[in-house]
Amino acid sequence: MDCFVFEAAGKYLGIEARYIYRIADEVRPAPVPLLPSCHVGIVYYRGDLYDVVDAGRLLGKESSLGKGNPYAILLKWNQRKLGLIPDRIVGLEWIDHTRIEKNAFTGDGRTIQMITPGDIWKILSDLPYGH
Amino acid sequence: MNRTSIKNKLILSFLALLLIVMVVVGAAHQITDNIATALAVSAAAALAAGILFGGIFSRSIVRRLNSLSSVAREISHGDLSKEIPFLSRDEIRDLEEVFSAMVADLRNIISEIKAVSAQIENTGRNLSVQTEKVLANSRKIDESALTIARGSEAQSLIVQKTSLILDKNLEQMNEAARQSAQTASKTNDALLKTEAGEANARKTLRYLEDVLRQMAENAEPIYRLSGKVEKIKMVMSVMDELSQKTDLLSLNASIEATRAGEMGKGFALVANEIRNMAEHSRDSSHEIRAIVDDIFRDNEAVIGALKKSEDHINKGRRVIHGIVGTFGDMLSGVKEISAGVKEVGDVARKQIEEMRGLLDQFQELSRLAQENFVSTQKTTIGTKNQKEEIQGIVRASNTLNALSQKMIQTQQRFRLRGA
Repeated sequence: MDCFVFEAAGKYLGIEARYIYRIADEVRPAPVPLLPSCHVGIVYYRGDLYDVVDAGRLLGKESSLGKGNPYAILLKWNQRKLGLIPDRIVGLEWIDHTRIEKNAFTGDGRTIQMITPGDIWKILSDLPYGH
Repeated sequence: MNRTSIKNKLILSFLALLLIVMVVVGAAHQITDNIATALAVSAAAALAAGILFGGIFSRSIVRRLNSLSSVAREISHGDLSKEIPFLSRDEIRDLEEVFSAMVADLRNIISEIKAVSAQIENTGRNLSVQTEKVLANSRKIDESALTIARGSEAQSLIVQKTSLILDKNLEQMNEAARQSAQTASKTNDALLKTEAGEANARKTLRYLEDVLRQMAENAEPIYRLSGKVEKIKMVMSVMDELSQKTDLLSLNASIEATRAGEMGKGFALVANEIRNMAEHSRDSSHEIRAIVDDIFRDNEAVIGALKKSEDHINKGRRVIHGIVGTFGDMLSGVKEISAGVKEVGDVARKQIEEMRGLLDQFQELSRLAQENFVSTQKTTIGTKNQKEEIQGIVRASNTLNALSQKMIQTQQRFRLRGA
């Protein structure tokens, strides 16, 4: 299984590649009031409106903004759209899907925590205002 | 007044006697015829008449002469109050008149002598008083002369001491003037050295300006290199951007290929290779950037060193400017000092001249004081002599007084009329 790997909150995170719609650069989200502090804003990309989230803040760590990676990972699943700003994009990795669990291991010994867009959405939905 | 001389009287007397003798001879002839008798009677009558006339005549003369001699005796006793009676009109009357005139003259003379002696006495007394006064004044003059002499001596000593002090002061002033001249010479040397220092500082400043210009010229390529490095960095940024875009593109291509499934495997392989190339390119770009950054840093360091050198040189220039300014200030200060020292020297020389004039005047004063001392000594001697002479005058005056007293006593022996 192809897995899109990125770095955020001090760990490697992996999302199944089929949820990735596009890696966009030069993203300038428009801030939205009364939303959790990890919600950077919304961005319009090729006809769709994406909620852009700071991955570091979302996972309760330091912000991923301003770490030199201007990319946003745009996710599309079940009519939902989400933009995720990681610390760093690693790229596509092939992972044996028969052995896939909560954590996966790459050939070079890295541990990748596998998440789904639904997990991210749930975390975001559970956050109170201002968190 | 008709005078009858004694000769005429005698002639008249003889003629009267002769007449009487003739009368007697005639009478005798009448009486007697005897000649002899007549002659004897006549002779006797003539002798008697002669004795009579002679007696009367001599008695008259002797009486008057006696009267005159008694008056003369009185006069000889000092009594000049007696008047000589004029009893006849003959030659004795002349004698009486002459005598009387002599007595009158003597009386006048005595009176005059009395007055003169009184005057002499008064004068002698006054003279004594005056000489006493003169003596007292002479004593005062003597004392004053002594005081003046002492004062002159003291003045002379003071003047000599002052002259010595002035002489010493003059020597000190000369020393001061010499030192002032030396100071002026040294300040002149200092002035020359300061001028030389200022010239050297200006020369150093010029050299420094040259060095700075040279440095600026030398730094020009380095600055240009810096600009070029900046351009390289800009190009590198573009290359970075390109590699990022390529990376992004290849990433998105990989994602698209993954979404395409089995059909997209070949495309994913190509995208992966492109991504690898982009990563290599990015790595190379990073290496080049690192090298360029190193060059840039080195260049920056060189520029920094140049700027530092320039700063140091600028500081040095400012310091040298300051030194030039200081030298200028020193120059003006030294000039002022030189002018001041010159002025001090002029003043010292003027003071020396004035001191010399003062010393000359003091020496003149000393000479005058000595002369004054000598003069007062002479005055003292003169006053002593004068005192002795005045004492002689006093003695003479006393003698004169004694003589005038004696004269008064002598003239008191004469008794004048109405006295």
